[in-house]
Amino acid sequence: MISLLRRSLQVRTVAATVLLSTIALFALGGFLSFTLSDGLYQSRVNQVLEETERSVGTVQNTISAAALVDETSLQVLLNSVVPSLEISGATRSRQVALLRSPGQAELQLLQSPISANLDLRTIPDALRSQVRSAGDSISYTPVAIQKGDVVVPGITVGVPINIPLAGAYELYLVYDLAAEQETLNFVQSVLLVGGLVLVGAIALVSSVVTRRIVSPMERAAAAAERLAEGNLNERLAERGEDVIAVLARSFNRMANSLQQQIQRLDSLSQMQRRFVSDVSHELRTPLTTIKLAGESIFAQRDSLDPNLARSAELMQSQIERFEGLLSDLLEISRYDAGAVVPELELTDVKSVVRSAVASLEPLAASQKVKIEVKAPREPIEAELDFRRIERLLRNLISNALEHSESEPVRVQIGANTEAVAISVTDRGPGMSGEQLNHVFDRFWRADPARKRSTGGTGLGLSIAKEDATVHRGWLQVWSEPGRGSSFRLTLPRRRDYNVIDSPLKLPPPELAKAKKNSVRSKT
Amino acid sequence: MTHKVLVIEDDDGIRELVGNLLATAGYLVSYAPDGNTAIKKFKSDNPDLLLLDIMLPGQDGIEVCREVRTLSGVPIIMLTARSDTSDVVAGLEAGADDYIAKPFEGAELMARIRARLRPMASEGGTLRIGPLVLDSQAHEVRRGEALIPLTPLEFSLLHTLASKPNQVFSRELLLQRVWGYQHTVDTRLVNVHVQRLRSKIEEDPVNPKIVTTVRGYGYKAGSD
Repeated sequence: MISLLRRSLQVRTVAATVLLSTIALFALGGFLSFTLSDGLYQSRVNQVLEETERSVGTVQNTISAAALVDETSLQVLLNSVVPSLEISGATRSRQVALLRSPGQAELQLLQSPISANLDLRTIPDALRSQVRSAGDSISYTPVAIQKGDVVVPGITVGVPINIPLAGAYELYLVYDLAAEQETLNFVQSVLLVGGLVLVGAIALVSSVVTRRIVSPMERAAAAAERLAEGNLNERLAERGEDVIAVLARSFNRMANSLQQQIQRLDSLSQMQRRFVSDVSHELRTPLTTIKLAGESIFAQRDSLDPNLARSAELMQSQIERFEGLLSDLLEISRYDAGAVVPELELTDVKSVVRSAVASLEPLAASQKVKIEVKAPREPIEAELDFRRIERLLRNLISNALEHSESEPVRVQIGANTEAVAISVTDRGPGMSGEQLNHVFDRFWRADPARKRSTGGTGLGLSIAKEDATVHRGWLQVWSEPGRGSSFRLTLPRRRDYNVIDSPLKLPPPELAKAKKNSVRSKT
Repeated sequence: MTHKVLVIEDDDGIRELVGNLLATAGYLVSYAPDGNTAIKKFKSDNPDLLLLDIMLPGQDGIEVCREVRTLSGVPIIMLTARSDTSDVVAGLEAGADDYIAKPFEGAELMARIRARLRPMASEGGTLRIGPLVLDSQAHEVRRGEALIPLTPLEFSLLHTLASKPNQVFSRELLLQRVWGYQHTVDTRLVNVHVQRLRSKIEEDPVNPKIVTTVRGYGYKAGSD
């Protein structure tokens, strides 16, 4: 329920409207009810007082008119007059009591006529003392009358009467307000039902009204969602002049602008891709001729003049270097143009590593550095682009061979359920924090003066980084001056997996020592 | 035996130097600078191997490859300046047996030519695999009475797989046995050729029954 309130503007608005209306209706209903009950009461009181005056007047006159000489006839008179004041009925009944004022010196000689069923609790003492002290005027008080199972409100009215021969008396009339109570109850229930119906109607109306406002917003939100997902043709209908139409127009303008921008970028990207492809062809053709010619000359260099022979050697090595540079430049351009889609195939990871290591055996031999491969026993397969990952590993291993003084280069393979990792570690001079910051930059070398046996282009690690990224994997490095460096490649095992944790530790345990503040790494 | 090689390449420099290399190695060389000449020369000279540049003026190299394939199963090695997959795969699908990327080493090119011209093995006698019958001597494959035309390379691939039924061959192993490479990184060659083979020998190439893929390992030929 709470989440529904949070999520739906309409539900919130309707709920607030209903809540406020209910409170208002309650207040109004309460006020009406109170006013009505008060009014009913007051009008009944007035009626009661009037009736009482008349009745009392009648009794007083009757008693005065009758020239009574003794108590018996007085009693008879009283017994007939007083009960005549009674009115019986289900509602608006009137009960009578003629009570002698207490505290009189003379003995009570007469019986007080009292209505049958009169509950003396309806004539409270407070009223009696008030009546006695009020002189000729009528006093009254509201009382509760027990009628069977129900308690009904009533009014007790009292007036002092002086009866000759008998003394000071008090005449009480007990009126019930059952009729008024019924009226009040009826009105209250009508108010309640009416109020509920009204609240219902308000809920309905506010639902409809907010719907009319919320649904264009929902349409706009849905269109924005679809636009964000890549459907650039989404537009809203522009109808009318109100703020909703303004919203629609702005949205459409924004969508148009986005669409144009993206199309422009797309076509630029396309142009760049075609350019890379064309350049590739144009540069490679003459280079092929140069290379073949150079090979011929190089093959015959022994029969040449020593200087020429030397030229032939230099030319050959530079042609190779140029070829590598061209290849790397084109590859990096392809990445920049967003034109790289890796060909992912389920591959035995160990075979990729084996292939890379095998191709570098000659270099390892010439550097007099061994390559050690450590891998788990079980087969490890992952979806990867063989060509790219093999190239990446060759790059890492040849770098490691270059930098390793004499210690072997260690290649380690690790795997967990989502990812596979390959680390290449050397115990060379390592890199400082500053150098680590630039290690993946294009054309950056840690030590420009260092002789490159492999004729590297300076783009190897940049391309390696792109290769890792295009696989949605990580390429990270850890290094410490004097200790060595370790590059770790982590790839998801399937194209839709995410790398969360690398199966191998960086720095690798054999390089890491207890010095806390010397750990530096770069991702 | 002196082999004849037809070099189809529009760049003068490459054409000349490659020709020199071939001649030095003892081949008889003929040349074509564009697609139309290529077809004519092919028909007239009947070469034992084609070196075909994919980027040709006029008739596209891919077209030439297709057209030659309708006439013969002669070995074709593609010369390509672009190693983008789509171009390489297009060439292989059009019928090329192998490709070499420019700029290439002369020695590498010669090695590939030699591998393609090597006479095919004839041992094995008659092999049966599924509904197919392979004649190792005649290098023919039949389904029932119908002869299925396979290029020498396709036959070699099928033969290698069929000689050990249900044994899984990795792509690396196939590249060694069939193409003659010691180690290479391009397994696309194998993939595309298996596709081509399937399109010729399988009833439903999309659901192959004879040459099946073993995911993560390679291919095998079986008769289930």
